[in-house]
Amino acid sequence: MTDLVVEELTAGYGDARVLHGVSLTVGQGEICAILGPNGAGKTTLLRALSGMIRARGTVTLGGADLTGRSPDTLARQGIAHVPEGRGTFMPLTVEENLRLGAYVRRRGADVEADLDRIHTYFPVLKTRLKQAAGSLSGGEQQMLAIGRALMSRPRLLLLDEPSLGLAPLVTRELFRIVQAINAEERTTVVVVEQNAHLALGIAQQAHVLETGRIVLSGTAEEIRADEQVAQSYLGYRV
Amino acid sequence: MSNPTETNAAQARTAAPPPPPAPPPAEWWRSARWRWGAAALLAAAACYAPFQLVPFHVFQLTMVLIYAVALLGLNLLVGHAGQISLGHGAFFAVGAYTAAILLEHWALPYPLTLPVAAGAAFLLGLAFGVPAMRLRGLYLALVTLAIAIFLVPLLKRFEDLTGGSMGLTLAKPAPPAWSGLAEDQWLYFLTLAVAVAAFLLCAGLLRSRVGRALHAIRDNEGAAEVMGVRLSVHKTLAFAWSAMFAGTAGCVYTWVIGFVSPDSFTVNLSITLLAGLVVGGLGSLSGPVLGGLFVMFVPGLAQDINDAAPGVIFGLLIIAVMYVAPTGLAGLAGRLIRKIPRKE
Ligand SMILES: Nc1ncnc2c1ncn2[C@@H]1O[C@H](COP(=O)(O)OP(=O)(O)OP(=O)(O)O)[C@@H](O)[C@H]1O
Ligand SMILES: [Mg+2]
Repeated sequence: MTDLVVEELTAGYGDARVLHGVSLTVGQGEICAILGPNGAGKTTLLRALSGMIRARGTVTLGGADLTGRSPDTLARQGIAHVPEGRGTFMPLTVEENLRLGAYVRRRGADVEADLDRIHTYFPVLKTRLKQAAGSLSGGEQQMLAIGRALMSRPRLLLLDEPSLGLAPLVTRELFRIVQAINAEERTTVVVVEQNAHLALGIAQQAHVLETGRIVLSGTAEEIRADEQVAQSYLGYRV
Repeated sequence: MSNPTETNAAQARTAAPPPPPAPPPAEWWRSARWRWGAAALLAAAACYAPFQLVPFHVFQLTMVLIYAVALLGLNLLVGHAGQISLGHGAFFAVGAYTAAILLEHWALPYPLTLPVAAGAAFLLGLAFGVPAMRLRGLYLALVTLAIAIFLVPLLKRFEDLTGGSMGLTLAKPAPPAWSGLAEDQWLYFLTLAVAVAAFLLCAGLLRSRVGRALHAIRDNEGAAEVMGVRLSVHKTLAFAWSAMFAGTAGCVYTWVIGFVSPDSFTVNLSITLLAGLVVGGLGSLSGPVLGGLFVMFVPGLAQDINDAAPGVIFGLLIIAVMYVAPTGLAGLAGRLIRKIPRKE
């Protein structure tokens, strides 16, 4: 069953158009990887999906039309965006950051239980609750950013380059956790990633974006087998 | 024979691995006991002081509290929501004049002027919060400065209501017979009660979901927005609450001084408030009190040196604070406390 349907999405900054009609669908509970070179518009695509920038075209999530909604409305509709650079609230404590994640939840929602749930995915956060988020390491901040997004119990999780600046071992661990979250919560995930190996390793579907257009789509296996992709993103020839 | 569960528990205790190393001790000045102790001490001192000081000093202390309430509001806006206002003296003036007009023309009992003045300032803050939704930084500073600039001529214009340049002179609230207090002491305790209530309200607000939203906006607008925080609503409300505290302070000012005139509320007041807050400590709970001391005493002290000195001294103090203690006096005090060795 399809969950996210994007049709002919165009978006940009001021007069500069970056996305030129992007269409894609993601199945309920699936992980979709977006690959592409620097400046292709991957971040812009996620920003358009979470309402951070205005976009034209249509976006539906679980059948509900979300086109042109404001970011806070989209957050209430179940979209959680972990932005490029993580969007950590540095001076606030780890716990305050996490509680902010539950901001859109109804009063009386079981936020405490959700905090516990986040701690099972990211045990390190539990030991850092009272610490300023700015004092966490890069990897811990990325975990915090994902944990914070989960606090809203999203239907759709948008991850923008979670591996940015992290050691390979930490990155691998992070992707393992994303996969576990996807499996346990049935959250649909769209992940933008430079590390194509890892992204294709956990995704079912993948799309390659170049200069604002999707140039290749397919299952993760198909994309991995593509010679062009192998050369550009995987660093070897098939 | 002993209870079997007890034996099991005992065995478990002996078999248990050595306890993990204790977590690092919480910083002692943050501990609840220390905080309550300090608060109780402060409360006792605050209640004792007016019986020990001469009336003029009691009056000065009262004024410090009034400015602290105004700074509490400004701190909410600048320190917590990350906005700026160069016109907070105007909200203070609106509270002061609302109270004065109600007392003068409607002969309202003075306690009732407080909610009306606070409400009027809240509404005005809401109105001026709307431009704040779209403006930021320098532009917002200019718009708020404009409020402060055009207030004085406006007050002079509606002479029938405001008394024009002459202002309005009012009777001060008289101490009730049962209290046995002198006028200055009564005014002091009234102000203290308002200040304590304002502090509790502000602290509650900051601990709530609203406080978290404001901090999120201050620290990262984009990230706050995608988490569902409505920027426009919170920015506008931050202005309104902030104005409400300033208006409350203005109302108490009218009670205590018994006189309002346009020249008490020039742009200078707005600038002094902002300077006081920055020196006192942005975003901290004790910053407004330290800032209140600044607003009350520094302009006067500077004036004693030279008529032109206040401007120079303000400028130098702000620059000095920015270099030496960017978190203000409150931050400096915190750092000093941390240096005191901890008793085991
Ligand atoms: N805030 C902005 N204002 C104006 N132009 C922008 C802005 N952000 C991105 N762009 C432009 O949009 C284009 C696409 O940028 P985008 O950040 O979406 O690329 P990306 O695929 O995420 O690249 P990377 O892999 O480097 O993160 C670039 O040409 C960039 O210059
Ligand atoms: Mg990017």
